[in-house]
Amino acid sequence: MGSVLGRLVTDLGERSTYDAASQCSRCGYCEQACPTYVATGRESRSGRGRNQLVRRVLEGGPSGSPELREALSTCLLCGACTSACYARVPTADIVLEGRRMLGAAPRWVERLLSFVILRPGLLDRALKLAFLFKKAGLSRLASKTGFLSLLGLEWLAVADVHVDEAPSEFLVDKLRTMPSSERPAWFYLASCGPNYLFPRVGLATFKALSSLRGPGRLVASPCCGLVCYNYGDVGAARELSRRVIERWEAEAARVEGGGELPVVVDCSSCAAHMKSYPQLNLDDAGWRRRAELFAGRVRDVVEVYAECPLPPAGLPGTVTYHESCRCRHGQGIVDAPRSVLRAVAAERFVEMPDSDACCGGAGAFAFSHQELSDALLRRKVGNIASVQARWVAASATSCLIQLARGLKNYYPDAKVLHLSEIVAAAVSEREEEKGNTS
Amino acid sequence: MRLDSLEPRLSPGALFLRDAAELAAYAYDAAVRGEPPAAVVLARSAADVVETVRFCAREGLPFTARGAGTNLCGGTVPAPGGLLLSTAKLDRILEIDTGRAFALVEPGVVNQSLQKRLEPLGCFYAPDPASQRVCTIGGNIGENAGGPRCLKYGVTVNHLLALEAVMADGSLERFAASDGGPDIVSLLAGSEGTLGVVTKAWLKILPLPEAVQTFLAGFDTLEAAMECVAQVIAAGVVPRALESLDKATVDSVEQYTRSGYPRTSAVLLIELDGPREDVGREAAVIEDVCGRMGAKEFRRASSASERDRLWEGRRGAYPATTRLAPNVLVEDGVVPRDKLPEAVRRLRAIGSRHRVRCSLVFHAGDGNLHPNISYDERDASETARVREAGMEMLRACVELGGTISGEHGIGLEKRAAMGWMFEPAALELFRRLKEAFDPAGLANPGKILLPPGSESAVPPGMSPILAPPRRELSQAARHVVERLRQSAAEGRGMLVSGSGSRLPRDIPGREGLTPIVTAGMKAVLDLDRGNCTVTVEAGASIHALHLELASQGRHLRFPKTGGTLGGALASKAWLGARDDLLGMRLALADGTVIALGGKVVKNVAGYDVGRLLLGSWGTLAVILDATFKVYALPCRGLPPEAVPVPLAAGPWQRRVKDAFDPRNLLNPWLHGS
Repeated sequence: MGSVLGRLVTDLGERSTYDAASQCSRCGYCEQACPTYVATGRESRSGRGRNQLVRRVLEGGPSGSPELREALSTCLLCGACTSACYARVPTADIVLEGRRMLGAAPRWVERLLSFVILRPGLLDRALKLAFLFKKAGLSRLASKTGFLSLLGLEWLAVADVHVDEAPSEFLVDKLRTMPSSERPAWFYLASCGPNYLFPRVGLATFKALSSLRGPGRLVASPCCGLVCYNYGDVGAARELSRRVIERWEAEAARVEGGGELPVVVDCSSCAAHMKSYPQLNLDDAGWRRRAELFAGRVRDVVEVYAECPLPPAGLPGTVTYHESCRCRHGQGIVDAPRSVLRAVAAERFVEMPDSDACCGGAGAFAFSHQELSDALLRRKVGNIASVQARWVAASATSCLIQLARGLKNYYPDAKVLHLSEIVAAAVSEREEEKGNTS
Repeated sequence: MRLDSLEPRLSPGALFLRDAAELAAYAYDAAVRGEPPAAVVLARSAADVVETVRFCAREGLPFTARGAGTNLCGGTVPAPGGLLLSTAKLDRILEIDTGRAFALVEPGVVNQSLQKRLEPLGCFYAPDPASQRVCTIGGNIGENAGGPRCLKYGVTVNHLLALEAVMADGSLERFAASDGGPDIVSLLAGSEGTLGVVTKAWLKILPLPEAVQTFLAGFDTLEAAMECVAQVIAAGVVPRALESLDKATVDSVEQYTRSGYPRTSAVLLIELDGPREDVGREAAVIEDVCGRMGAKEFRRASSASERDRLWEGRRGAYPATTRLAPNVLVEDGVVPRDKLPEAVRRLRAIGSRHRVRCSLVFHAGDGNLHPNISYDERDASETARVREAGMEMLRACVELGGTISGEHGIGLEKRAAMGWMFEPAALELFRRLKEAFDPAGLANPGKILLPPGSESAVPPGMSPILAPPRRELSQAARHVVERLRQSAAEGRGMLVSGSGSRLPRDIPGREGLTPIVTAGMKAVLDLDRGNCTVTVEAGASIHALHLELASQGRHLRFPKTGGTLGGALASKAWLGARDDLLGMRLALADGTVIALGGKVVKNVAGYDVGRLLLGSWGTLAVILDATFKVYALPCRGLPPEAVPVPLAAGPWQRRVKDAFDPRNLLNPWLHGS
């Protein structure tokens, strides 16, 4: 058995993993919420089924069957089952515990992954190398020859196939060259997605929030650890959570009232993960308290926009909203992004059917379970097309990657944007107008 | 292993699962944790179901059909060593015809998916079980599911027009409710997959009501709330939902969601629907009755969002219980409406005697009680206490003239309670029916009925029956029974008729048959004005019955046809009769009297023999008396004349015949002899 959390923070309070899994009464009300159950009709691919399978292992049942692994590894961790569950059984956390118990990710992958991610400098260099390869057309070769998987970076291979962009400069490098406020109104914590893949998203967040909330300040931090958490290395995830907290504490101490400022994150998956830091630190009273303080300050940028008066955006055509799973289910944010889109796009904002259905991105899922992922993606794109959207707003890196690929392949009329990009466009237009009139 | 030879027979896309983990995920339903099946077939076409059932028939392997597995009685827990046949991916809506008011669906279609497709077309499908966002139509049929709306619209069986099913021998058959002959559609509904597996269903759909209005009222005493219910019904108003919650439920709901329900000892939620004008008139009645009964915090809502708000507390009742402990036993007893206060008192006493956490939610309009008992199944002694309390609650319902299931089914959990309601002769008949359809006993064996002989936990000479004794047979009925007994003993064929108005003119071999005329049995045995039920003998003339009831301020929903009530039922002269038929007493060919159903308006316990007799033309048994719903106001919009459908004796009708009357003594010419 690998390292497990053993205890989870649930809606009903702190519980052992076994108690949390046993809270599932098998009512089955989660089944139609589960994208993999709807796609396959298999009980083992449903929230209820997965809870029962993990519970069986916890009760000493056999853990060797290949389908058990598959049942757990096909979970998107989207959390839709938890939203549908009256007792809010945290199935995604339970599944992750199950994966850890089985050692679902090969040990060496886990180690290498953590090794690289724990060393931001190395990660930076590896990525720059990879992007250079991509530009040189070598990346296909690199992934084919297994170079990336040798580094434990399969998800980079995914990104390579799925992402057109290969930024030559990372977000943090760019932000460091910009003036930093000594009296900020908010902190910005750069997630790996905006930092390494979509600097445009981070710049848009900075642009929009600077205008709406006043100056911001970067907390230069390592990866939030979500990747390690999902891939089974709880130790590395905990280590990263503490490093992030320390970086925040240091930065907050430099600013008057810094501990009270919101810590804005513009990837919903990372925001949800950082909000759950206390769960990673339950065993250590001191760290637990620090994690709770930090988690209490973390805000998904989507929430922050909803509190600001927003100007309209000139964006032509229909805008629709794709709910990133860790925004809706991970953080329970439902209304905020909609009120933002209503403010900036007015009646051009149209809801798509099943906006809360997972797009199949889910981190490396698109890579590890291509067929299932693609089935979900096609359904999602169909729903986008059904409202003839020109723009799709989302709030997590993984959705941006997945939807960009899906739209390119199946519905090139539409483009996916991070919500920040839409708000930033609206803010820029207003500023231009002001500039013209004055 | 021989099992694997099934896999190549399945269509592409169908799954054949053998892995231990996959199987473990099919060991349970929403109530019972059992043992994994030997294999799982996830069918993709009706042909897969045929192949699988044929394979099982050949290999002597038991099989259990399953939809979403959200049922609450153990009905889809696999048979030991058997195969599990999932219809979850037979999930196409094949046709919706709003003009002819039906939807044709596959069994795996989720109830709510159908509702969502119908709504923009201005229609709805009435059954609305609490699990409707996940449960499947196939499962609804298997358990004969209900829901709050069934007070007005009836349970699943009332909405089945026709079924395609794979029978236990693997043959693919179609049955329509309008077919001549015994109503096999009604028999299959609620049969929990023990007779066959449904592969297509033609469902009745209804136009969305023009107006809907919802009311919420608190009452200081349960009695006042129930009196309010009785008066609403007595005033001729049939709401589409009439729900009640006790204070324990409201208290636990408040911890889960802010419903703002009054903290009185009982809360009523009443919902009307229909043409705007009717709803307006009925709303005035509701307001008036609630006012007179001393309702506290009376609220009303018309817009969808306001109505949602009023429903919040009711909808939160089950969720709130699931948060108190890991597991919830949702019991499902029914009592005659006027026995509700007494039932609630008894149920509470049972709950506290067994020290279980119990809150009560009930469909007050039809007397269907759902005690929700929370517990942790990992605590063996608590679980035992809870199970015992649950069974005792059902026992109380039966003692009050009620039933052990209104909408959840019998499955594994309540088999032992069947003997409290049904005489051994009735259970024996159920068993013969099962054998007639499934001689090898492979279709979901062990459900509904205990294995033969195992229910005799009662000392010899004592009856296990807990139901209050039925009214004695009348002189005329005893006479009919006696004539049956004699003729059967002598092996003579019999000509069963009412007034004879629907009998064919030429009956082969008429001279040799002993006439059994039911027209002499014409008494109204019981008119329960408060409960709105009538029990009447089969020989009563329909005209006379209408007049008699009208003079007492009650009305039958039945066309004013000629002949006797029994004749109209036996000839299926009025298909709508199945919607209001609540109970029946019948005599088999040898004079054995069997009582089914009773004064409860909702009852899914056992095979639906009462409805099966519709269209049987006296070939199965002689109807002695029948219990019907009656109404406070005359019923509108009924067809003036009904056309009886001649009996068409297909192979499955013949099997039914063999189960009832293997010697073909009753109206023998109809089955050829």
